[in-house]
Formats: sequence, C-alpha cells, structure tokens
Amino acid sequence: MSQPEVYNIAQTPITCHAFSADRREVALSLNSNEAQILSKQGHEWKVTETLAEHDKLITSIDWAPKSNRIVTASQDRNAYVWTQTPDAATGRMAWKPTLVLLRINRAATFVRWSPNEDKFAVASGARAIAVCSFDPESDWWVARQLKKPFRSTVLSVDWHPNNVLLAAGSADMKARVLSAYIKDVDSRPQPTVWGEKLPFNTICGEYTSASGGWVHGVAFSPSGDALAFASHDSTITVVYPGGPASVTIKSTTLPYVTLTWTAEDALVAAGHDCQPVLFQGHENGWRAVGSLDDTTAPKSSGGTRMGSGFGGSSVGRLNSAAFNTFRNADTRGQSSLGFGAAEGTGAGDTELLTVHQNTITSVRPYEGVPGHITKVSTSGVDGKLVIWNVSAADGLAGRLGGVHLR
Amino acid sequence: MEGAFRKIDIDVYDEDVLAEEELYQPNPRGPAEVLSETKQKATAVRSALAKGDVSGALGIVLQNPPYGPHVEEAKNTNMTTLVSILNSTKSSEIPNIVKSLTQDEQDTLMKCLYKGMAMPGWGDLSGSVLLGWHEKLTEVAGTGCIVRVMTDRRTV
Repeated sequence: MSQPEVYNIAQTPITCHAFSADRREVALSLNSNEAQILSKQGHEWKVTETLAEHDKLITSIDWAPKSNRIVTASQDRNAYVWTQTPDAATGRMAWKPTLVLLRINRAATFVRWSPNEDKFAVASGARAIAVCSFDPESDWWVARQLKKPFRSTVLSVDWHPNNVLLAAGSADMKARVLSAYIKDVDSRPQPTVWGEKLPFNTICGEYTSASGGWVHGVAFSPSGDALAFASHDSTITVVYPGGPASVTIKSTTLPYVTLTWTAEDALVAAGHDCQPVLFQGHENGWRAVGSLDDTTAPKSSGGTRMGSGFGGSSVGRLNSAAFNTFRNADTRGQSSLGFGAAEGTGAGDTELLTVHQNTITSVRPYEGVPGHITKVSTSGVDGKLVIWNVSAADGLAGRLGGVHLR
Repeated sequence: MEGAFRKIDIDVYDEDVLAEEELYQPNPRGPAEVLSETKQKATAVRSALAKGDVSGALGIVLQNPPYGPHVEEAKNTNMTTLVSILNSTKSSEIPNIVKSLTQDEQDTLMKCLYKGMAMPGWGDLSGSVLLGWHEKLTEVAGTGCIVRVMTDRRTV
C-alpha cells in the first residue's frame, strides 16, 4: 500500500495551491496577500519566489500547464496574470504580473484557466463571473461578465473540455452550466449534451441539492457529459443532463468543499471532514468507496488508538481524540485533561486520526491524464500539502475488512 | 462608533435582493391541502401506534412533512403527532427504528428533534426523550445529518 506524501509547508492555512506542469514547482498562498512559488529540493519544498502585487488575501491560484502562466485572484477585486520573463538587470527568470481589468466591485473568489489556456474565468462576490481573454491590440486581458442569473457570490468554476461551457457553484445554493463563448477566441463549439447553440451567457442548466446549502465546488467529468458539485448540506450531487437524472449522495460527515474527477465514473471529494474520499458510480447510482486516508492510527505518534476508519462502526467525526475526551468526561466522570487516560488517548490530545488536521481547501489532479488520474494533491487549513494515491481507497477498503497487506 | 456601518441593512439599497422563498423549491401542495393531509396522517399514526407499529407510524409522519409559507397549523399538528410517537417508544427500540428509516426520513426526524429542542415546555415534549433520540440518530446518520438540518430551508 502506498503512503501519501505529506509536506508541512507552514503553520498557517494554505488557501489554494497549483502545481506547475512538471510538478517540480508549486504556487500557493499562505492565507495572505502574497503567493509563493516553491520548488522541490530533495524532500523539501523551498520558497524560490514571492509574488507580491495584491493588496488583500489571495483566494485562488491556477497554473496553466502548456503556456506556463499563473493567474491569481484576490479579495482586492483584481486578478493578475504572471509570466516568466528575464529580469532586465540580472538576466534571471522572474515572474512578472499583468493586471486584468475585471470590473467587479466585490472580491474575486476563484479562478481557473480554460483547457486551451486562451481564456480564464474569475468568480466573484459581485454575483458575476468575469471571463477574460487576451486582447493583442491593447496588450491586456479584457473581461466579459456573466451576470445572469447569479443571485449571490459565485464560489467556484470549472471549464468543460470544449473550452466554451463553464460550470459555476454559487452561494445562492445552485450549480449552473453556462456558455462562456467568446467570438474572437473560440471556434464554433460542437453540440454537447448541455445544448447545441451556445452564445455567450446561455444558461444550459440550473441544479440544486434538495436540502440546500452553498455550492462550494463544481467539476465536469473528463468527457464533460456529467457535472458533480459539493454543497454545504454534506452532499455530492452528480448531474447527467442526457437523461434527466441527478444522483445525490448524502454523506454522514461534515460537508465537502472541493472535488475533482479521477475517471469518468469516479471522483475524489474533500473538505471539512479533513480526509479525501473516493466516490464511484454512474447514472443509476453513486457510492462512497472509501477514504484515501488511513484513519486507523494517529499520524505523528506511534501506537494504536481507539477509533475506526471510514465505513467502520462509527460515522462522521465522532471518533476524534477530542470527542473521546469529552465523551469520557461525560459518561464516566473522567477527565483526561492533564493526565493520560484509559484507551491510550493522550493527555489533552486533540490530534485527529487523519493526515490533514483541519479542513482541506482544495483537491486537484496531480498525476495521470484526464479520465485516468492516479494521484491527487490536497492543501489544507493546517498548512499541509499532501499527495495521495487514488488507488489507496481500494486498499484501505480491504484493510478495513481485516486484511493486512504491506 | 467605528464599526457601526456593519449594522446597516444593505439589502434595503439593493433592488435585486435574494428573498427567503427563492432559496428552496416551493412546496407543490397548497396550505389547505397540506393541512388536510397532515390530519389524515395523524389518524393513520394513531391506528399504527395502537397496533404497536412504531417504525411504521414514524415512517408515515416523516413522509412529505409540511414546509413552506402559511402552513403553521399543519406544522404544529405534525409535530404533536411526532412527539406522541417519540414519547411512546421504548429506548431500547430506538436504534433499530432509526436504522430502518431512509436517509430523507432521518434528515426530517433530525429537523423535528432540533425544532423540539428549540421550544422547551411545548406540549408533551421532554428534553431527555429528544436527547435520547438525538444520540441514537447521530450514531447512525452522522454529523452530515445535523449539517443538513442547518442548511435546509424547508423547515418543519
């Protein structure tokens, strides 16, 4: 069984992360107005450059793999496109920013390059998405806004593989599919299951989970024929527009906030539950396969501890050390604060049984091709960056049955 | 005060403000229809309880619960019916009954439990009964079920 690669980047939350195409560098923001470029040296990530141009918190970063450009979005209502150019004085390669005119009056919340990397979409609190394309005549990025029909902050976006359709998750509890067709950039798109004629701002679909909740994360399947979204009611909904079917999986844990497809029939979701979970299914039904995280043992200290993993007897986060501490205090009048208690729960120990010790902010594909992703990366509020093997979920599902193969 | 501006109701200045009713799918049934249905369900529950079929009774009351505007009376009737079931169940039976519910029914039950906790002293409500059900339900349905109580605008 393969262990996840765990990197402790900082003691502060990592709000977002994006790897370079060769995976030797990563851009991330440590909950501040600066983005850092880290490169891998041995088993360590070292800061090689700091991108300081934003005035306020950076909310999202994306790194275009083919054209090697970084785009950052921030609460200061701006986005910058960063390109690597030789510095005039030293001749060394350095990242230089270009301001994008977003014309939004609220924070930018999320940004993603389109598959062809000739456009990017910036979601914002101004109930709009700015779709930006490069205008070579004026030599800057211009934005066209998708305004209707958002009723609240747009929290996430994802591009369809055809470079035209855009999925958006919003705080008005809906996930939508819209056209972001720009005449100067795009050729006429082929008809898709989402629609045939697709002028700019065509609304192809509006979806919601019955029990509501902000839509935190959206993602198209590798073919683009299905859409999955995670909302704050602890559900994942997969929409198949071909047959008017949508499948909702109700989770027993805290809500997921981010998700990515690993195959046409599988996706990984992560969020407030602190562990990435693999889901598998098709139009007729989806199920949780298992966690990519081995939650049967604490991560830092040795020894085993009470508590069962995903799919075990206990559900949700009710098996954390902190929970056990309070349960012992309640049911047995036993205070384990200050002294080691029974069951091996350490004194004042609040360590979770997961790798991430706090909410996972972002899960992204790391290795493989779309449709067959073998590794995913996550970043969390605990300052950790982790690379997971997707196949670990099957291995752990077997382990829970008592099989030990190492 | 420096922070006083934070208390200004900015929605007043917004012509495109998001209304409460737009946040959930409207109830396809009208208030009168909901009320008569709820009364029928109350009768069905009484006969099921007389036969000792607690999980059947619970299934009836948790199906299509009243929600939406102008259904206060139906909500109260439904809650009274539910409380009568909760009170008449032996605590040793609760785990199996909770397991036999569908996920939708579990979510609705959790909503009712929290509503009950929010109005102490109402009718025959007893805090210890509610907490007993809450504990067993959480063991089966997890924290996700509680989260859905908070997000779902279709309040019972």
